[in-house]
Amino acid sequence: MTEVEVIKRPSLDGKRSALVLMEDRIGHYPEFREFFIGRFSLDTNGLSKSGYIRGPSGTIYSLVFVGRSGEPFPDGLEVYALVDALEPLSEEDIDTDLWAFLRWMIQGIGGEWKVEDLDATGRLYQLPFLSR
Amino acid sequence: MKLDAATTPVPPGPFVHEEWPYEPRFKRVNGWRMHYIDEGAGDPVVLLHGNPAWGFLYRKFVKPLTSAGRRVIVPDMIGFGLSEKPVREQAHSLDGHIANLTGLLRQLDIRNATMVCHDWGGPTGLGFALSNPERVRALVIMSTWAWQLPPAEFHKRIFPWRMMHAPLVAPYLLGRYNALAGRGMYLSVVDRKKFRDEAQSAYESILPDSGSRLLTWTWPRWIPLDDTARGLERFEWLERELKKSKLPTLLVWGREDEVFDQRTFAKRFKELLPHAEGPELVTGRHFLQEDSGAEIAVKINNFLDRIDGKQP
Repeated sequence: MTEVEVIKRPSLDGKRSALVLMEDRIGHYPEFREFFIGRFSLDTNGLSKSGYIRGPSGTIYSLVFVGRSGEPFPDGLEVYALVDALEPLSEEDIDTDLWAFLRWMIQGIGGEWKVEDLDATGRLYQLPFLSR
Repeated sequence: MKLDAATTPVPPGPFVHEEWPYEPRFKRVNGWRMHYIDEGAGDPVVLLHGNPAWGFLYRKFVKPLTSAGRRVIVPDMIGFGLSEKPVREQAHSLDGHIANLTGLLRQLDIRNATMVCHDWGGPTGLGFALSNPERVRALVIMSTWAWQLPPAEFHKRIFPWRMMHAPLVAPYLLGRYNALAGRGMYLSVVDRKKFRDEAQSAYESILPDSGSRLLTWTWPRWIPLDDTARGLERFEWLERELKKSKLPTLLVWGREDEVFDQRTFAKRFKELLPHAEGPELVTGRHFLQEDSGAEIAVKINNFLDRIDGKQP
């Protein structure tokens, strides 16, 4: 599984944003919030910009950071696949891209959070693409 | 019915299963639609499930208890089973779930109840019992906890517990793949083949879509791991009030339980409630009702008969 790449804002012409993953509590473990703050300069950008990444399949995703009054920013995170406007998603690509995104995130957080533990958790719960 | 809940579309509709022939009933509590069954007549026994189960977990309990002249009420937590499933994590809190249960049992004007508490049915059911003592006569406690810290070693470890419910990992693993209701429950019973053949699809199919599975990762996030955790004050209150309780209590634990192992958790309940009977050990991991449901139902009947003076 190849790396996730952070990219600049792509052209959205002819594309639609398809919600593929939603997290209401990105700071449940604060180091997860800190990772996104650092990686996407959220302390200066705030809500003004989404983040963009390219997954191993080539699909581009926008990361929409969600704020909630009274809570540290960001409080939530929504992941959207930017796909051809009238075409259905490739579920297989989304699944493997999101897993690569999670691995990239865990690797970036570091410390006690290890990619090997994420992979072991995926294998324990028998994610089908990990046994292919 | 055999379903791969991760990939198979499940049409919405009534739940049909030969072991669950009970009339679905609903009440509005705190703005949510709550499902429950209400069978038999007599002093009520309230059977409370936890994560990621629903009333079906108690399918082996209903007939033995009603046949013994008891009324059996089995609610589905808001977020599970046939109850309404909020789609935002902020909809869930421990206090909110205690209030949901209280709302239901007050509407039914339940009195002289025995609260049977398992997993998150523990903090919620005990929360109801301790705040409504005039409505409760006895407790049955199984594979749960009711204090602040420390949690079990299992809950402190990154692999698999904290990784499973980590931000973004959880909505992927437990949301897209229904990992807790599927593989997670499977790993937490003793007779796994029997569980897969007879029950697993009933737990998976009741949570058919990612959006319906939210509580499966919200509850793990409510287990206090340090002194910054949510709900600490409520757990402190639970422990303090439980220590004062003189309610007749029966502890039932699975010998093979590695989530809330009996040497730690049943022992702690016994220290809090020295008058409690047990722990009576049965074959079972965390979901001991799956391996020993009928046996536990007999133990509950015998326990209540002893309270009623029908048995020595």
